[in-house]
Amino acid sequence: MKAAGEFILHPGEIRLLERLRLNPRKVTGGRIRGDRLTRKKGVSIEFADYRDYTDGDDVRHLDWNVLARMQTPVIRTYQDEEDVAVYVLLDCSTSMDFGDPSKFAAAKRIAAAIGYIALCGSDALHSQAMGRKQAVTRALRGRTSFLKFDSWLSDQHAECDTALTEVLRNFTAGKSRPGLAIVMSDGLDPGICEAVARLGSRGHEVAFIQILAPEEIDPDIEGDLRLLDSESQSAVEITANSQAIREYKNSLQKHCEALASACRRVGGRYVQVTTRDSIQSLVKDKLRRGGWVT
Amino acid sequence: MNLANAAALWYLLPLGGIIILLYLLKMRRKDFKVPATFLWPHLTTEVRANSLLQRLKFSWLMVLQLLSLLLIVASLARPQTTQEGLAGTVTVFVLDTSASMSATDAGGTRFDEAIERIKKTVATAQPGDRFSLVEAGPTPRVALPLSGDTARMRDALHSLSPTDTECDIGEGLRLASALVGAQESGHIVLLSDGAFPELTNFSQGKATVHFQQVGQSSDNVAITAIGVGDTPGAKQLFCGVRNFSKQNKTATVSFFADGTVFESKRIAINAGSLFGQTSALPPGAKILEARLDVHDILDSDNAAFTLADPSSALRVLLVTKGNLFLEQALALDPRVTLDKAETVPVDEHVGSPGPGTYDVVVFDGIQEIAVKARGVLTFGAAGSSSIARPTGTIDKPQVTATDNESDLVQYVDLSTAFIDKAEQVEPKTGAQVLVDSHKGALVLASEVGKKQVYVAFSVLNSDFALQIGFPIFISNALDFMGGQATSNVLTIQTGRPVSFPAATEQDGFLTLPNGSRIAVEPTAGSYILRDLKQTGKYRFEFGDKRTTLYASLLSERESNIAPISSLQFKGRSLPAAKATARIADFWRPILVICLAALACEWWLFAKKS
Repeated sequence: MKAAGEFILHPGEIRLLERLRLNPRKVTGGRIRGDRLTRKKGVSIEFADYRDYTDGDDVRHLDWNVLARMQTPVIRTYQDEEDVAVYVLLDCSTSMDFGDPSKFAAAKRIAAAIGYIALCGSDALHSQAMGRKQAVTRALRGRTSFLKFDSWLSDQHAECDTALTEVLRNFTAGKSRPGLAIVMSDGLDPGICEAVARLGSRGHEVAFIQILAPEEIDPDIEGDLRLLDSESQSAVEITANSQAIREYKNSLQKHCEALASACRRVGGRYVQVTTRDSIQSLVKDKLRRGGWVT
Repeated sequence: MNLANAAALWYLLPLGGIIILLYLLKMRRKDFKVPATFLWPHLTTEVRANSLLQRLKFSWLMVLQLLSLLLIVASLARPQTTQEGLAGTVTVFVLDTSASMSATDAGGTRFDEAIERIKKTVATAQPGDRFSLVEAGPTPRVALPLSGDTARMRDALHSLSPTDTECDIGEGLRLASALVGAQESGHIVLLSDGAFPELTNFSQGKATVHFQQVGQSSDNVAITAIGVGDTPGAKQLFCGVRNFSKQNKTATVSFFADGTVFESKRIAINAGSLFGQTSALPPGAKILEARLDVHDILDSDNAAFTLADPSSALRVLLVTKGNLFLEQALALDPRVTLDKAETVPVDEHVGSPGPGTYDVVVFDGIQEIAVKARGVLTFGAAGSSSIARPTGTIDKPQVTATDNESDLVQYVDLSTAFIDKAEQVEPKTGAQVLVDSHKGALVLASEVGKKQVYVAFSVLNSDFALQIGFPIFISNALDFMGGQATSNVLTIQTGRPVSFPAATEQDGFLTLPNGSRIAVEPTAGSYILRDLKQTGKYRFEFGDKRTTLYASLLSERESNIAPISSLQFKGRSLPAAKATARIADFWRPILVICLAALACEWWLFAKKS
């Protein structure tokens, strides 16, 4: 639990994140002016093209030099600059409450870091706690909104039993404008690949940050156990021996590879982190190197 | 394969049930929460159970445990197999070494075949097995005492050789029975072709008798009789040739006089029939030989010898109800051809037509009657024709006087013999008392009319037969009755021991038909020759004397080489078998499989735990 007046991120981490901007691959149209160039012609300092003058055009955009030489009125057009919708989709299922520190705590810290970068970049930051019957939050803009975002994060708990795929299906079915959908989840759902594909097909750029606990990657269990699914409460009886562990690791690796492949197929990005990775290492080693941020 | 303890299979039900029940018990598993279960394999290896029942699931561990249990219970049921080899832990092989075993219808000889079978059987001996070898020749002997040493058995087998003699299988079996008859696990294995008389007076005791028959064919033609008879014209040589095979045969019979052929004839003999051939002897002939040139599988009976002058031989009739001592003492004399009977044949009675067959008649406890023979020896039963008249009986007579001048009692000391009961007699006219006692005469002799010797006591009523002087007395009596007809040429039947009086303590030397020469030590004043086991010519030199012996088989029993299919004794029939078999416990392979199953079970358990 963080103390009152404290952020999820440490000051050092905040300083590290201030200079970063999200680097989405797709250019999506914004609703208000922002710092992101769009394909729309608009008002900015970025020259786009010439076109013939028509009645009603703002004469301030006439290229006087061309008019003087060629006696033809030509209008200069510029690229418009709009904001980008950044969706922070935080997995609040009970499966995230696993590991020490828990995956959910790590997810919240990563979400805070991503959100802070987005706010610093004047992007429209939306957030949704996946698993809860909450609508997507209204857009936050500007670093001053980080307080609200941090507060929202602090209010989230990993206590939902709704399956991740169902939550993502609901999100894509909503009226959210296309944007950069950053999913922070363990991705341990058999239908996650299908959900990622659906998310991408709705115009979102998918960025999946899979958070796993070291105990999940290399489980240290043995004996005759009844494994209880933290969400569905379904049970699997196993004899945890070397063969079972080996088969589990193979299954986990295949699942993660399938998830990464699904992300790449929709033009998205995928990165796997563990709960023990620090924000610094995440940003330096994975996000920057992977081109997530600039 | 059979099960010695089939009831042990019932253990399979409760024990197998317990194993299956253990697998029916459900394991109480520890709950463990995981983020997602779909990644975990359904690998449940239930090696322990501590809860209530569940549905039976397939498990290789259970299969291997049930297999191990099955093998263990199968071992408890003692599966047994029949294997060729030693029939038991203690086995005595009785090997027939008689003439018929030299028949060559078994690849080599029957003897070689029997030797190979014994070797093969002994090779299967296991630790703790003991075996022995009895040579059943004319005089059965233990060639190898009970031993577990296969090398010694091989040496003993190599030391044996087939003979051209009859055999005494009954005595060989009695010898074997004495070795193992008291043991439950004892086995007596007789290897023979069955050319021996019916077994009597044989008890196997607790031992089991097995009969391994060797040989297949009856293809043999033999000279079964040879003799010289006086006819009004000249002496005639008679030769009897019998065809024992199942086919008609042709053969050439040749007669030799002193090594020179004087007649040869091609004859045809029907299957199973006897062909008689006679021929007049050439003048001056002494040693006569008949040779048979025929294609058969036994050679030793294709020649026989006889002498032109039969006076040097004694045909003796022993009238007795059974007296082995007397029988053997008579048979030791090389001149004697012995017959036995319980009563004197009518043809031998005085007054019956024709000449008598026997030169000497010996009455052993049977009342003497008048016979045609030129010599009579009577033991303890004087009759009307005796040289003594019985007047009563005397108990435990003590010898008081012996006529040392008489050759009849030379080297014979009756004073050391114990005589339980004797006839009290009065000598008739002409009878000379040779041994006297304080109660009456014990040995008398007479040469009036015929030569008679009377002994007042029965052999079996004294220990005289155990004295050294007994065979000497018999030999002296035969010399006396036979007119001391001595000759330096004798014909004998192979295998029969003969004795010669030893005047000195020097060794005699016997030259065998194969030319080898062996020394013979004198024993109790006699040279006893026991190695006359091959047909042919022997020469015995002792002191300054030389005697030539011609040995022939002349045994219809040995020449009839048709193997028998079953051994008859004590009223039962024992079928012949090619080899003995032993019931061997079949536990070793089961143990190996069981250990392998348990090793797999352990490996599987370790792998899954």
